[in-house]
Amino acid sequence: MNASLMSLEISVLALGLLLMLADLFMPVERRPFLGFAAIAALTALLIASFSGYGSCSISGTAFNGMFVNDALSLFFKRFFIIAAILVLFVAVQFADRIAVGIGEYYSLIVFALAGMLFAASANNFAMLFVAIELITVTFYVLVSFQRGRIASLEAGVKYLILGALSSSFMVYGIALIWGTTGKLNFNELAAVANQYTGEKIFLLGVLLVVVGLGFKIAAFPFQIWAPDVYQGAPTPTTAFLAIGSKAAGFVLLLRVLFVALPVVAAHWVNLLIVMSAITILYGNLCAIPQRNLKRLMGYSSIAHAGYLLLGVAAIAGNVHDATAGGAAILYYLAGYLFTVIASFTVITLVVRKSDTEDISVLAGLYQRSPLLAATMTVAMVSLAGIPPLAGFFGKFLLLKSVVALGAVNQGYYCLVFTALAGVVISLYYYFGVVRAIYFSKDVTDLSPIAVSGSAKICIWLSLAGILWLGIFPNTVLNLAAEAAKVLSS
Amino acid sequence: MGLPDILFYVFAAFTLLFGLLVVANPFSRNPVTSAMFLVLTIISMACLFVLLNAFFLAAVQIIVYAGAVMVLFVFVIMLMDLKEEERRRIKTFGVVTGIVSVGIILSVFLKSLLGCGDSCSLPAVAGAAPVVEGDAHSLGLLLFTKYDLPFEVISVLLLVAMIGVITLSKKDLK
Repeated sequence: MNASLMSLEISVLALGLLLMLADLFMPVERRPFLGFAAIAALTALLIASFSGYGSCSISGTAFNGMFVNDALSLFFKRFFIIAAILVLFVAVQFADRIAVGIGEYYSLIVFALAGMLFAASANNFAMLFVAIELITVTFYVLVSFQRGRIASLEAGVKYLILGALSSSFMVYGIALIWGTTGKLNFNELAAVANQYTGEKIFLLGVLLVVVGLGFKIAAFPFQIWAPDVYQGAPTPTTAFLAIGSKAAGFVLLLRVLFVALPVVAAHWVNLLIVMSAITILYGNLCAIPQRNLKRLMGYSSIAHAGYLLLGVAAIAGNVHDATAGGAAILYYLAGYLFTVIASFTVITLVVRKSDTEDISVLAGLYQRSPLLAATMTVAMVSLAGIPPLAGFFGKFLLLKSVVALGAVNQGYYCLVFTALAGVVISLYYYFGVVRAIYFSKDVTDLSPIAVSGSAKICIWLSLAGILWLGIFPNTVLNLAAEAAKVLSS
Repeated sequence: MGLPDILFYVFAAFTLLFGLLVVANPFSRNPVTSAMFLVLTIISMACLFVLLNAFFLAAVQIIVYAGAVMVLFVFVIMLMDLKEEERRRIKTFGVVTGIVSVGIILSVFLKSLLGCGDSCSLPAVAGAAPVVEGDAHSLGLLLFTKYDLPFEVISVLLLVAMIGVITLSKKDLK
C-alpha cells in the first residue's frame, strides 16, 4: 500500500472541505475571497507537482494496482489543476450572478477537480466508474447552480437524465467485461484480453464502456446534450465542462483503449475513424447558424472532440507506438484549455450587463475594451487553427499522426480530408464572432467595460498560454511525448 | 431441470412482467400503481439473487431499493401534482422510437448471447458442490481491502450530492 502517491488528491479534497468550513464562518460579503484562497492553494499544489519534491510525482501504483502514478497521470493532473485555477478566476468574475452559495460553488469546483485527479490515475474499472461519477454528480449541481434561471435548471435536468443514462450504459458494460473475463484491473485485463477478442459479449461490454465515455467527451452520436447544457449552465461551469470533463473523458478513453484493451482498439480502427469524422462534421456544420455565444462554443467543443478523436484513431492504427498520436492529443488539449478559458472570460465580462448571450453583444467591443476584443480574437483564431497559435500546431500534429498511417488504411486519408473540410467550415463561424467584434454596423452600447485586476490576470495567463504553446511548443510537447509512451503496448 | 432452474424462469418472468407494468400498464395510468409494480419488480430481482446464493445482495435489494428508495419515490409522487400525467396522451412517435431502440438493443444482445456458443456457459463439473460467492463476509472483506479506494471516494461523492441537494433546495436565496 502506497497511499502517499495520492498526496495531490488528498490535498485537493482537504481544500474542498476547508472551503466549506471557511464558508460557514465567513461573513457573506467576504465570501468571494474564498475563490482567491482556493486559487492560491491550488497554485501551491501545482508548484509542488512541478518541483519534484513531494510524493505526487513519483511513479508507482497503490491499492493493489487500482491507482497508478505515471507520466500520463502526472501530465493530466497538472492539466486539471491549471484548468481549475483558471476556472476559479472565471468564477470569481461570475460571483455577482450566483445568488446563493458562492462558497459552495468554489468548493464544488474543487471536488470536481478531485474527481478528475482520480480519473487521471484510475487503473481499474471500479475506480474509473467512481471517479467519473464524482465528476458527473458534481457537474449536475454546478450546471443547475443558478437556480433562479429557468435555463440553468433545464440544463441541469437534461444533463442529469442523459448523464444517468450514459452511466447506466457504462456500468452495464463494466459488468459484462467483468462477467466474461473476471478482471477489472487494466493491466491484468491487457494480459488476458487476447483470448476474448472473439467473444461478442465481451466486445459488447467494451462498446458500452466506450458509449459511456463518448458521452463525457461529447462525441457523435452521444453529443445531443452538449449545446443545451453549455448554453444553460453558468459560464464558469460551461468552461469547466468544456475542458475538465472532456479531458477526463479522454484520459479514461485512452487508458481503457490502449492500456487495458489494445487488442480490441486495433480491431476498431474503422469505428474510431467514422466516429471522429462524423463528430467533426456535425460540430462544425451545426455551429454555423448559431447566434448564442455559449451554444456556439458547445457545438465548437463537439467539433474539437472530433479533432481529438483523430489522435485516438491514429493510436488505434498502430498500438505499439502511441507517441505521435498521444502527444498530439495531450498537446491539443493543453492549447484548447487556454483558448476556452480566454473566450469564456470574455463572455463572462461582456454579458454581465445584458441579459442576452447573443453574438450581437460583442458589437463594438474593440471600442468598449480593446483588451477583451483582442483576447476574443486571439481565442477564435486559435480555435480555428491559424498559425502561429496553439490551435494550429495542435491540429497540425493530429493530422500529421493520422497521415502517417494513410498507407496502411485508406480510411485515414478520408479522415484527413474530412478534418480539413471541418477546419474550413469552422473558419466561417469563428470569423463570424470576430466580425461581430470589429465590423458590426448597429452598435448601440459603447460604454467601456470595466476589467478587474483578477480578470486581467486570468486573461493575460490564457493569452500567454496560447502564444507560448504556439510559438515554443517544445517544452509541453516533450512532456506530452513522455506521457504518451505509457500508452504504447 | 431442477427446482432452482424452474424458479429462475418463474422469477425472471415475474421481473419482466412487472417491469413492463411499471411503464406500460394498460389498466391504470396512476403513478402510484407504477411505483408499486416497481416494488414487485425489485422483489422478484431479489429472489433471483437468492437463487444465486447472494443473500446479502438480496437483502440489500429489498431494504434499500424496495424500502428506502421506493418510499422516496412515493413521497415525490404525492408531493407533486401528477394529475397532468394521467391525462397525457401517449405520442405515437415516442412509442415507435422506443420500440425500435429496444428492438435494436435486444437484437444486439441476442446476437452476442447466441454467438458465443459454449464459451458463455460455465463448465459443468460433475458432483462438485456449487461454489458460494458474494456472501456478506467476503463482500465486506473485499470492500475494505481490495476496493478500499473506490469505497472511500464514494463518501466524497455522497458529500457532494448532499451539498448539491441543500444548495439547490434551500428556501432563502441569501
